Amino acid sequence: MAEHWSHPLDTLPFDTVPPAGHYGVADMTGVAARRIEGLSIATLAPARGAEAAITETMRQALAMELPGASRAVFAGARTLIGTAPGRWLALSSLDRDIAGTLRAALGPLAAITDQSDAFIALDLAGPKVADTLAKGALIDLDPRVFLPGMAATTVLAHIGITLWRREEATWRLLVARSFEAALLRFLVSSAAEYGFELDARG
Amino acid sequence: MRIPCPYCGERDAHEFSYLGDATPARPDPAAPDAQDRFFDYVYLRDNPAGAHQEWWYHAYGCRQWVQVERNTLTHAVAGARLARDARDAAGDAAGNVPGDAS
Amino acid sequence: MSRLAKGGLIDRARSLAFTFDGRSYGGHAGDTLASALLANDVRLVGRSFKYHRPRGIVSAGAEEPNALVELRAGARREPNTRATVAELFDGLDAQSQNRWPSLDLDLLSVNQLLSPFLGAGFYYKTFMWPAAFWEKVYEPIIRRAAGLGRMAEAADPDHYEKASTFCDVLVIGAGPAGLMAALAAGRAGARVILADEDFLTGGRLNAETREIDGKPAAEWAARVTAELASLPNVRLMTRTTVFGVYDSGTYGALERVADHLPVPPPFQPRQRLWRIHARRAVLAAGATERPVVFGGNDRPGVMLAGAVRTYVNRFAVAPGRRVAVFATNDDAWRGALDIKAAGIEVAAIIDVRRAVAASLVQQAKAEGIRTLLDGRVTATHGKLLTAIDIVADGRPERIAVDTLAVSGGWSPNVHLTCHHGGKPAWNGAIAAFVPGTVPPLLAVAGAASGAFTLGSALTDGAAQGAEAAEALGFPVPLPDVPAVAEESVAIAPFWHVADSRGPAFVDLQNDVTAKDISIAHKEGFRSVEHLKRYTTLGMATDQGRTSNVTGLAIMASLTGASIPETGTTIFRPPYTPVSLGALGGHHRGKDFRAVRLTPTHEWAKARGAVFIETGAWLRAQYFPRPGETDWLESVNREVKAVRASVGLIDVSTFGKIDLQGPDVGTLLDRVYINTFSTLAIGKARYGVMLREDGLVMDDGTTARLAPEHYVMTTTTANAAKVYQHLEFCLQVLWPDLDVAIASVSEQWAQIALAGPRARDVLARVVDAGVDVSHEGLPFMGAMEGSVLGGVKARLFRLSFSGELGFEIAVPARHGAELAQALMNAGETFGITPYGIEALGVMRIEKGHVSGNELSGQTTARDLGFGRMASTKKDYIGRVMAGRPGLVDPQRPAFVGFKPVDPSQRLRAGAHFLKIGAAASLENDEGYMTSVAHSPHLGHWIGLGLLQRGPERIGERVRAYDPVRGGDIEVEICAPGFIDPEGERLRG
Repeated sequence: MAEHWSHPLDTLPFDTVPPAGHYGVADMTGVAARRIEGLSIATLAPARGAEAAITETMRQALAMELPGASRAVFAGARTLIGTAPGRWLALSSLDRDIAGTLRAALGPLAAITDQSDAFIALDLAGPKVADTLAKGALIDLDPRVFLPGMAATTVLAHIGITLWRREEATWRLLVARSFEAALLRFLVSSAAEYGFELDARG
Repeated sequence: MRIPCPYCGERDAHEFSYLGDATPARPDPAAPDAQDRFFDYVYLRDNPAGAHQEWWYHAYGCRQWVQVERNTLTHAVAGARLARDARDAAGDAAGNVPGDAS
Repeated sequence: MSRLAKGGLIDRARSLAFTFDGRSYGGHAGDTLASALLANDVRLVGRSFKYHRPRGIVSAGAEEPNALVELRAGARREPNTRATVAELFDGLDAQSQNRWPSLDLDLLSVNQLLSPFLGAGFYYKTFMWPAAFWEKVYEPIIRRAAGLGRMAEAADPDHYEKASTFCDVLVIGAGPAGLMAALAAGRAGARVILADEDFLTGGRLNAETREIDGKPAAEWAARVTAELASLPNVRLMTRTTVFGVYDSGTYGALERVADHLPVPPPFQPRQRLWRIHARRAVLAAGATERPVVFGGNDRPGVMLAGAVRTYVNRFAVAPGRRVAVFATNDDAWRGALDIKAAGIEVAAIIDVRRAVAASLVQQAKAEGIRTLLDGRVTATHGKLLTAIDIVADGRPERIAVDTLAVSGGWSPNVHLTCHHGGKPAWNGAIAAFVPGTVPPLLAVAGAASGAFTLGSALTDGAAQGAEAAEALGFPVPLPDVPAVAEESVAIAPFWHVADSRGPAFVDLQNDVTAKDISIAHKEGFRSVEHLKRYTTLGMATDQGRTSNVTGLAIMASLTGASIPETGTTIFRPPYTPVSLGALGGHHRGKDFRAVRLTPTHEWAKARGAVFIETGAWLRAQYFPRPGETDWLESVNREVKAVRASVGLIDVSTFGKIDLQGPDVGTLLDRVYINTFSTLAIGKARYGVMLREDGLVMDDGTTARLAPEHYVMTTTTANAAKVYQHLEFCLQVLWPDLDVAIASVSEQWAQIALAGPRARDVLARVVDAGVDVSHEGLPFMGAMEGSVLGGVKARLFRLSFSGELGFEIAVPARHGAELAQALMNAGETFGITPYGIEALGVMRIEKGHVSGNELSGQTTARDLGFGRMASTKKDYIGRVMAGRPGLVDPQRPAFVGFKPVDPSQRLRAGAHFLKIGAAASLENDEGYMTSVAHSPHLGHWIGLGLLQRGPERIGERVRAYDPVRGGDIEVEICAPGFIDPEGERLRG
């Protein structure tokens, strides 16, 4: 019997970031992925004994509450993600240099490391995000369980990611830059049955 | 197997890498019999059939060393705590360093 | 045609065409391949594994041992598929297997004549034959003759997926017990998954003619299924086999997404492997009927009674025109009545029991069926069954039938309960093994637990479903259990007609006979585990579904032990075979594992780079130029260009770890053999770290950027390992140290610039005010600055090649831009991009160690770093590195080698022997770790580990490489073939 469709991965070079476009089922978009540019990202770790002072300074100077667990906290253009005990990822879509902002605010209270280029950020939206992620993740991403504001540092198709749910239908994930092509290949393949829209630049 | 990471919650064992027995403490390198003690520390392991305290590193999560109590016969996990908390609870705040005669 | 005029759960409005062995047939939607073949009077479907005996369809489910076929053709050809569970689709192309030249005329059935040699213990006995017999007889003839289907010879064009899902209650099996369990838990609000291997829910309800709530039971099943489907918290998964119970409530399941279609629908996988995480599970997998063993019991036409009943009731197919039933239990009698009710002649019911419930006997007689008690089948006749010989009440008789429906009782499907090592327990009342110790948080309901009546299945299912949900905190209104009439399930344990004639098969798929069991008994292989291995009983793909219990019962009768004393083997995952494609999922071909791309990947690709996988990374191996035909030619050019002028390479793959805090120096002093707390700000130092056992773990340079801020580099291979090690030090060994570490491997693109012109090039890309002169950035200097007009950068004066060298780190997004800027800046110097081959050549010329030397078996002393080790502090591995075996002066140590005859090639892996010494283990003095062709010297050079090597400079040894036939003399030299004084890199 003749093939009447071909799988998108069969024609994409494996060592290239898949180009923007629509993949899979033609008349549906179960998942839309958008690459987020211009995010400034830093890791934040308190110096010994400085957690309380940092919590207070973050509240006062930046009006941000440090999440005590694996959660996302949003304040304007800034987001804080808990990634480990005493470790946070800070992101900003306005600050050109969130690491610098934090350093200025916290001084010697914390170790701050610029990671703006370490990650590729993807926004995922659509009714089939959870189903698609379930093909690579090993945690419960059921929308009834993984609620907006929840975050997880975990694996997706054996690739490390940090994932959080921003709103009811919007998810954001960070993946190490070198894995961008591999991760997008997984998304193209896994979301193809629902229709996958990849927008390269957002 | 699922491991209840104290920070991340229950996670698949695939996210962790395994080290082994969590009970040996690094010996005092200044002790007169340091070489014998280190030999035991590096190589000698009990292999209990049953409850076992072991180190797991949550490589694909919070990158914390987690002390997990696992039954080696059933793989049932009775509990898990972060390395720091485990050490505090054991009253052994630190590994041995030179001049530390504990 | 044997399709009944009415009834069945097939869609008669939808006709499907298919072929079997090239002939065209028709069936209906709702058929399996087996039911459609029977509807077309195809009764011979395969040849047996060893003896090539003609075989027909035996069962109507996953237990089928005989009807294994190849489905589809070409790249999608799939062997050994059970026709009884293959859902029919339009255009299905099926082939019988293990026959030559045809199914009807199989010349390899001469194997039957070899049966004295192919019996029990055959595999083991062949090992005792002379080796020549193996090569000439066993391999070529027997291997070819005995076997299963053919694999596809082209890559599978379909895609496969894996997925995870989570639920509160997993219900395995959608028969009466499973439906009730799912309904109870689902109505309570629990997240429920109901999985069934069949494409139709209902289980036995579809195969029998029972009524529930006054309606046909199949209709009740459809109604409950519809309710479950309407609940948002319930996920119905048909065509999904739960095949394994793993740890912590994890279950493996295979969803056959498109096996029932010619090709998968657009963008759908063929199969999906599920990892189901369930807080509780209810196993409602039903039971499997087992046969009775008697002579000639493998003749096509001999079937399981429940299967005949299923074909009649569910598929509206008459497997034969005249049927006899051979029974040990009441259920088979109801089957006989169903068969008769469908208008098929039932010649007789032969029951081994002397007494059977009067009501059943009366019903049978009322239908005009002969009832022959105290009976047994002693022989069968015909190529396809034409007659049976029986003895009943002591009187022999021949009865003409084309179908014999056999029932030796039912075995609960306990398989999944064994997956954590649980042993089934014998229940004499039903003559079957029932679940023993079950996996945690799994309950068993219905026939799988031995509750064989429909009423008990419904009640038990509801109770177990409710209990599971309630235990998880869901308030449970127990659903009303529909009332059904209680049926009788009496059985007499009976396994083997010992006085029957002809080969009596126990395991039809592996061709194991009752005689094989008696041979095993005679030869001493009496425990069930020995019996299994010696005869291969139960070791076929059907895992002995229909043969295990009869086999061990026969062994029990030979030893005189009871069945519980004899025990049973246990079942392991998978419950039914799982394709490797499904286990791989997305991860096949180039997606086998995630590939990491460097920041300059596209840039290098545009320059024609050839790439090589180094771990997960894809790195530029070399950059061929037009006209270059050999990689060595390109590599030699790249090396010469660097040594003569300048070249660049992406070294972003090195691990980079940011360390901040007041105690970083202390930490580094404890992990490196040398001292870092005294490192000046703005300087870098090469360091070696050991494992606690005293062997080298990794090496690299670490720079101090500020008083409390260092940045460490690791080898590409050990980046994750070193990071994990540092976290172990900080979290487990010395939690008092105030240090925060962060991996910045991905943040920084790093490019090495090397060659006498490196500084000239670098000076053109740094921003004004960044001083890269020898004074501004001396050897082993490190500084922060900016390049390319405002891009922040870290600049290091380091050299792996032995030339004047720099490494420039910029935020990763600027990596390719930096590479191009350096190319532009170096154009006048003929700047050359080089790959890791040239890098490797230059480090060997320079005598640097790398992965081949950091093998996990070498000490710092072995590698010439003995004097680097501090004696003023403790560090990880220090104590153990002092063990006598690790400081033995005889240990092979690091030196260089060159061939005595410069035209000869060196080989990594060659072992060193004294000249004239025999090539023996005791004469082995070490081995060559790395070799390269040095364009600088014009001959091959090598590095290696040689006993007392550093004391033997100038001596000659033999480099012996039997694997590739190399055996040459080499001269020992100091490692460092170029600029041993280091003038170039300090210039």
